[in-house]
Amino acid sequence: MKRTALALSAAVTALLGAQAHAQSWSLAAAAAPYKGTTVSAIFLDRPGYKAAAALIPQFEKETGIKINFEVVPYESTNQRYVLDFTSGGGADLVLSDVVWIGQFADAGWMVPLDKFFKDPKLADPALNLKGFFPVLLNSFGTWNNKVYGLPFDNYSGLMYYNKCSLKAAGFSGPPKTWDELLKVYGPKLTGGGKYAFALQSRRGETQSADSFMRTLWLAGGSLIDPKTFQPTLGSAASQRGLKFRQDLMKYMPPGVVDMDHNEVVNAFNQGTVPIITEWSAFYPTITDPKQSKIGLNCLGVTTEPLGSAGLKPALGGFSLGVNSNSDAKKQAAAYLFIQWITAEKNAKAYVQAGGVSGRQAVYKDPAIRAKYLYVDPMVKSWSAGTAVPAFRPRFAEWPQISQIVAENGTKIMLGQLSTVAGAKTIDDQVRAILTKAGYYSGKKLKLQ
Amino acid sequence: MHTQRRITPFVFLAPAVLVLAVVGIYPLIFAAWVSLHTYLLAQPNIPHDFVWLSNYLTVLKDGSFWGAIGRTLLYLGVSLPIQIALGLGIAMLLRRGPWGRLRGFARVALVIPLAMTPVVTGLIGRLMFNQDFGVVNFALNSVTGQTVGTEWLGNPNLAFVTILLMEIWQWTPFAALIFLSGLTAVPVEVEEAATLETRSFWAMLRHIQLPFLLPALTAILILRTADILKQFDMVYTLTSGGPGSSTELINLYITRIGLRGAFDQGVASAQAILMLVLTTVLSRMYIRYLYRGDNA
Amino acid sequence: MTTHSTSAAAVPRTADQLAVQRARRSSRVKAALHGFGLLVVLFGTLFPFLWMVSTSLKTTNQIFSKPPLLLFTGTLEHYRTILGEQYNVGGSLVNSLIVATTATVLAVLLGTPAAYALARFDFRRKDDLWFWFISNRFMSPVVIILPVYLLASQLRLIGHPGLLIAMYLTFSIPVVVWICTDQFRSIPRELDEAAMVDGASPGFIFLRIALPLALPGVVVSSILSFIFSWNELLFALFLTRGDGVTSPVRATNFLSGYDVPWGAIMATGTLIVLPVVIFSLLVSRHLVQGLTMGAIK
Repeated sequence: MKRTALALSAAVTALLGAQAHAQSWSLAAAAAPYKGTTVSAIFLDRPGYKAAAALIPQFEKETGIKINFEVVPYESTNQRYVLDFTSGGGADLVLSDVVWIGQFADAGWMVPLDKFFKDPKLADPALNLKGFFPVLLNSFGTWNNKVYGLPFDNYSGLMYYNKCSLKAAGFSGPPKTWDELLKVYGPKLTGGGKYAFALQSRRGETQSADSFMRTLWLAGGSLIDPKTFQPTLGSAASQRGLKFRQDLMKYMPPGVVDMDHNEVVNAFNQGTVPIITEWSAFYPTITDPKQSKIGLNCLGVTTEPLGSAGLKPALGGFSLGVNSNSDAKKQAAAYLFIQWITAEKNAKAYVQAGGVSGRQAVYKDPAIRAKYLYVDPMVKSWSAGTAVPAFRPRFAEWPQISQIVAENGTKIMLGQLSTVAGAKTIDDQVRAILTKAGYYSGKKLKLQ
Repeated sequence: MHTQRRITPFVFLAPAVLVLAVVGIYPLIFAAWVSLHTYLLAQPNIPHDFVWLSNYLTVLKDGSFWGAIGRTLLYLGVSLPIQIALGLGIAMLLRRGPWGRLRGFARVALVIPLAMTPVVTGLIGRLMFNQDFGVVNFALNSVTGQTVGTEWLGNPNLAFVTILLMEIWQWTPFAALIFLSGLTAVPVEVEEAATLETRSFWAMLRHIQLPFLLPALTAILILRTADILKQFDMVYTLTSGGPGSSTELINLYITRIGLRGAFDQGVASAQAILMLVLTTVLSRMYIRYLYRGDNA
Repeated sequence: MTTHSTSAAAVPRTADQLAVQRARRSSRVKAALHGFGLLVVLFGTLFPFLWMVSTSLKTTNQIFSKPPLLLFTGTLEHYRTILGEQYNVGGSLVNSLIVATTATVLAVLLGTPAAYALARFDFRRKDDLWFWFISNRFMSPVVIILPVYLLASQLRLIGHPGLLIAMYLTFSIPVVVWICTDQFRSIPRELDEAAMVDGASPGFIFLRIALPLALPGVVVSSILSFIFSWNELLFALFLTRGDGVTSPVRATNFLSGYDVPWGAIMATGTLIVLPVVIFSLLVSRHLVQGLTMGAIK
């Protein structure tokens, strides 16, 4: 009896306390101890970062914390982080690509955010982790059941198409399946210096993710078996995907192997290529009249074409986390910024500034849905059952594997290797790397 | 006095030797140590086990490594003869004859590519050879009268041609100026006497000028070989080794394995040590040949 | 070159007259060809450089214009952009200047006494030592950058300008030693010996007698080691960070991102290249001599 009363009173106190806390928590108060702290960050030259940059002055004004960001080319970002972390430094804010989280978390370079979530002085009561799309929080921010980062600048692969060009060629809409793109749209839209489609394939993560893995998934293939971790590029499904990509080559610009996101988006913007599958995040660029000749009346945006395995859109993007090399003060200040820039209440302003939020609520806003054509297909792509969380394995070995895939993937595209020989080369090296890492001997948990 | 004489050279030499030993030799010893261990920079949890020569075996079996070596040798083998031939031609043009002022201008202009930061040379190449708005394609279009739209940087073979062209542009002046200084050493009387005998350009070149050109040629061969084997900067900004790995020279490959992606320091160090052996052998041969007996 | 074709219109004259006429005509053709060849050389050499400078002065629209513009009204907007806070190319140029100057000064301080000793004194294994100095010139920086990166990161030295300066000594000391050894050798030994008889110390002889006479070599080798350090990318790429990067590293940072800012890139290129180009033009004669490292005397 006495015990129940005690528990009850404790619960009441806790409840009251929490309530009092919820009312009293404010960003300014939470940030007060960190006033004047400078938090360093690495940003990319992409729309989502320009949007964040536009909002940052507001955060700095409210908190007195200075956010000092450096813009770095994506291709050298992972290199920068690894080199910085291993030499004991690095930016306080860690921008982790979905495929680096395993590497960064395994190495202990990112701080598990739990410690901040539990700190009532820092944690915003309106944090609401459940408000993120689950696939985003899980794949971008979580490793081995611990949250290391909050989703920031997240993408789904979407199909952008030029309605006017398609109409002129006699099509009333975009291809529904990849097969249709190859067999029907390809021949009709290619010729006279124009090409039906362009798949960004420059060596680097673009080749391994956007080009290689995308074509694996559409045919139901994958890099490794999810259970045994044995390489599976030689499997019938994977081979179908790679052969499909080779077949598609004749409907793509000849220099596609050297095209990165910007070249592909530019080809679309200039009207050279009427269909591309690109990240949702390029929407602001495609609709910017200064950079694009495609008027809004000609622009169509929908989910990626269906493959033999259904809708398997590319999944990419980042989470923001905290560098474990930084001192406690900078860590706390960095956390406050992460919490703020990904907050539900700031999501609308962020989207309007050209960013893509990982929050579900903002996309329920009819005004947002009507204004941004990319929202509906993106939300559909991120919804349960369609997105592939293991689009690329997120384990620590991926960056190394990505190099191998990129090198041999471009060789396959250029015809220097057959799909079979290329698959075998990659499989052998992947097996060697995973053996070294200890997955097969059971020394390492099979997480991806 | 006697001891002082013996100590003096060491006092003079010690600072330089000490500094070079710390920044040059100590790292090499460490690299040799790393090359015998597992050393994955990006996975600090994997212990640095001693693995005997397994990294070296990996390198020897690695097709990409040999591909990069072959590519580098091809780059050397194609660009160096062209630089030498063009350089000799330019030196001949600059040496004497009419157009004194024009020759003076050209001689001064040749210094510009030499001083050019290779990083910037690569960037200029990237601009000029752009498929879409590059001036090279514009010139080709004007000459052929049609839109060629050559994809210089997108096609593996053409990208290799592009890095060769930029290499040749930057370093032919080097050969030209060295040949020119060699030719200046030809005594005027000898040459005038020879003109009475023959008017053949080739005969002059072979019998009169060649002896003076030989040291110049050796110097060009040695210094350019050394620098081409070191090539990194220009290609890094021009193509970064792409498309695919069609312009990935050996140094780009080694840094990619060690510091730009795979972060496998063990294997990369093994590659670097093998490179060191190769260049040491080459440079020893070269210097010995160039300075035959000179420093004995 | 003798030609056997005779012009059909030529009136037959004596063989001598014909030969003179032929020689005159062929020498005129030769001169024209010579001039044309020189123009090609001049144009080919200068064009990429001029194209960079002119692109840096074009507006973004003018850069993408088809056909490429040769005449245009210039703009300095790209220079304003790159010198602004976002790109801070100015800061990187200052870094380059500091690093290259310090490395050069140190190389001369350390290298000239060593070169003097190699030129003047006899001791065992002198040849090997000389060879070792020179062979550094041939060593690929890739071989050193891997271990140096690991060592420096353990010592938390990455980003420290002193580290980069130390690395630049690996090639600038050999340059100084190579060129100056030759230079000291060309100074008559008798000068030293006379001073020694007068009781001068070796340090005095080196500083007051030999070094002033070897000044041309010192100048050439400092110019070269400055240019090499100023232009270097590989070490700087991995050993500098943030505000400490040198200008070649800064130039590589533009390369990716959604739109490639060609105007800003070429403006940066111009600012990096222009000082060394002007500098080299001023000393072009010595530069060529130095580049051969005394291989031709």
